[in-house]
Amino acid sequence: MPSDTVVVIGGGPAGLTAARAAAELGAAVVVVEARERLGGTPISSNYAALTPDFRPADEAMAEMVAALEGLPRCTVRTSTRVTAREGDAGAFRLTLASGDTTDAVEAAAVILATGFDHFDPGRETQMYGYYEYEDVLTLQDLEAQLKEHRVTVPSTGRAPEHLCFIQCVGSRDRRIGNTWCSKVCCGVATKEAIEVKRLVPSCKVFVFYIDMRMYGFWEDQIYWKAQEEHGVNFIRGIVTEVIRRGDKLIVKGEDTTMGRPVEAPMDMVVLSVGMEPSKGTIEMARVLDVPRESHGFIATVGAPLDTVSTPVAGIFVAGAAAGPKDLEDSVSMGGLAAAKAVALVRRHAAAALPVA
Amino acid sequence: MSVEPGRIHEHEHWVQDGVDISGHWNRMFDPRTIDEYPLDILERITGLPGGESLGWCYQCGKCTAVCPVDHVGDYSPRKIFRKVQLGMNLFDDPDLWLCTTCMNCLRVCPKGVNMIEIMPAVREQAVLEGNVPAELLTAFENTMRHGNPLGEPQRKRADWARGAGVPVPVIKGLGRRVDLLWFVECYPAYHPRGRDASQALARILTALELDFAILGVEERCVADSQRLAGETGVFEAMAEHNIGVMQRYEFDRVLVTDPHAYNAFLKEYPKLGGSFETIHYSQLLAPLMERLPMGNSLGLRVTFHDPCYLGRRNGEYDAPRRCLEAIPGVELTEMMRCRANGYCCGGGGGGMWLDGTNSEHMSERLSERRVREAVETGADVLAVCCPFEVSRFEDAVKSTGNAGRLRVLDIAELIDMAMTSESAGEAQGGGPPPMGASAPEQGE
Repeated sequence: MPSDTVVVIGGGPAGLTAARAAAELGAAVVVVEARERLGGTPISSNYAALTPDFRPADEAMAEMVAALEGLPRCTVRTSTRVTAREGDAGAFRLTLASGDTTDAVEAAAVILATGFDHFDPGRETQMYGYYEYEDVLTLQDLEAQLKEHRVTVPSTGRAPEHLCFIQCVGSRDRRIGNTWCSKVCCGVATKEAIEVKRLVPSCKVFVFYIDMRMYGFWEDQIYWKAQEEHGVNFIRGIVTEVIRRGDKLIVKGEDTTMGRPVEAPMDMVVLSVGMEPSKGTIEMARVLDVPRESHGFIATVGAPLDTVSTPVAGIFVAGAAAGPKDLEDSVSMGGLAAAKAVALVRRHAAAALPVA
Repeated sequence: MSVEPGRIHEHEHWVQDGVDISGHWNRMFDPRTIDEYPLDILERITGLPGGESLGWCYQCGKCTAVCPVDHVGDYSPRKIFRKVQLGMNLFDDPDLWLCTTCMNCLRVCPKGVNMIEIMPAVREQAVLEGNVPAELLTAFENTMRHGNPLGEPQRKRADWARGAGVPVPVIKGLGRRVDLLWFVECYPAYHPRGRDASQALARILTALELDFAILGVEERCVADSQRLAGETGVFEAMAEHNIGVMQRYEFDRVLVTDPHAYNAFLKEYPKLGGSFETIHYSQLLAPLMERLPMGNSLGLRVTFHDPCYLGRRNGEYDAPRRCLEAIPGVELTEMMRCRANGYCCGGGGGGMWLDGTNSEHMSERLSERRVREAVETGADVLAVCCPFEVSRFEDAVKSTGNAGRLRVLDIAELIDMAMTSESAGEAQGGGPPPMGASAPEQGE
């Protein structure tokens, strides 16, 4: 009898959705998560609230994790990595390593949901002084503050009077090699801008951008709300560099709608860092021998009409392992990957039945 | 060679002949660095009732392409928002007075940034603070003192009627209900060229045997333009007077010559308790044109200027055209910008009384730009149906060197010409007296 197990690698929004769906469709599911706990990047990177609905990330992810409990034949393996693959679709054999121990699991199908890493703003040609100035933060650094219901300038411990976001850090940049738009940073930065204004109403908040990319409902759910209800100021023109003058950070760039240079003092600068293939994604591509597409994310076949099938039969991908995705993309892909994985399980089970 | 310091004037913003030469005087080609985005003014404006939507601009720039002022200068709602975001004190800046409230920006604005409400809200504060151009202040004071912005005597308000050649009953003397209470307004009552159109309209109403009367000397300025220019107090005083007077009489409908009055009676007077069914004279005449005895074929190519306050503000584009098309011998031709995209004459929102102030920030008047467009159509006549326009466009015809090439006539005048034996080539041949000239003596 062939295996009817689906292995889901990665316990973030995409993986949790895939695992739940596959289990509810009747497959045996093993969730393999390298970190100690489930929840993915929203948990490991201390997200305060999700975009666009401002729901606390802890609460939302706990709900997704809890949904797995009580599902028959659903096993969660945290602090566990996949270290080898043998076999093909319908009869994979994966080696799992947890600490010093290893074991093997038979699987008919695999769903890769290994997510993204935040761009490291210290890399390459970035001149924003992330590792020089403690008052230069990233989106997720600010999320950690927001999670504690505070916004404070790290060097002074006081609330900022002027705070700005710099968009497209590590995205849309040929020189860095990241030529893609990371898709969510405009929305996340604007969501955080609203949260800053809620916590520090007197703070003047600016978003320096090249284009504001507010897909679908984010336009009025976040962008218009930030501007119209919270007085967040959007300035077209990206900041070139951040320099320190006295106790202020000077952001230098061009205000392109005015055609004038900008050298504006800020107390706090937040870098809207983009998405890159996570280390786990790169490692799993190697271990499972799944090709990556030209940007380095997991390759898919049949795009744009099939978002989850990889070039390797029986291995599917969900979420930001396949490229920049928002939460909605990720969970949608999780559901589709589960459906395709379970369909494959059933095809192999049917083929193994003795001919009547 | 030294320059007296007193002769050096530095302006934060300056537009010369339509070119923005803002800049420090000794490095004007070196763009000044933005070192701060002071948001106090923006927050003050968005905190005003009516000013909220200035903060909604997301800089798409659609307004700039249709803003009539940007065509002759450097100005649009998008630019206003950005300048204010950069700290421009709109409450005390020449840019405050350039908007004619023509509404073409709001027509195209995806975010609903509403300059029709923003400008009056900010101007009201400027008026309260005394930051008002002198010529506009004069118009305000004239309105308050004399009931009209021209400063003409109130007792002469109905004098125009004596030259109509037909009886023009005053409702007070009539002592009975009428169908149409004709609210004449100031320029049709006092301005020489406005009077020509009023007298023509009186003859048309008489020819149609319509039951009409005027308020006569009891009428005062509707003052909607003063409201839009920031003088809420004068507007309310005028409106309360007019509503009080009108409520003393019985009538079915208010007939207006002035689209600005039309706007006020439809949208503003009801807020103050004065709700009257109101009709613009072009709307009254359009379905009645075939009843008029127009035996004279004019043989004129005519182009029509949509008044902002009849068209864009209140949706009436067809009635004036139906009137013109029904006149024998009139060939109607459209300008490039017409109907919903009609170009503004520059007279709205107080622009009528700001030509001197605003001339320093425009390469030419909006009326001059519009006259050039009318000339391009090859039309003999620029037809209008708003009392601000006759004088503005006649001045512009002269200043653009088109005297003798293009005539400016109210639709009522064209109809009247077709009803009489007067030939088109001779009518009004002498041209109108200049703006501001006192009305001809009509006898006391």
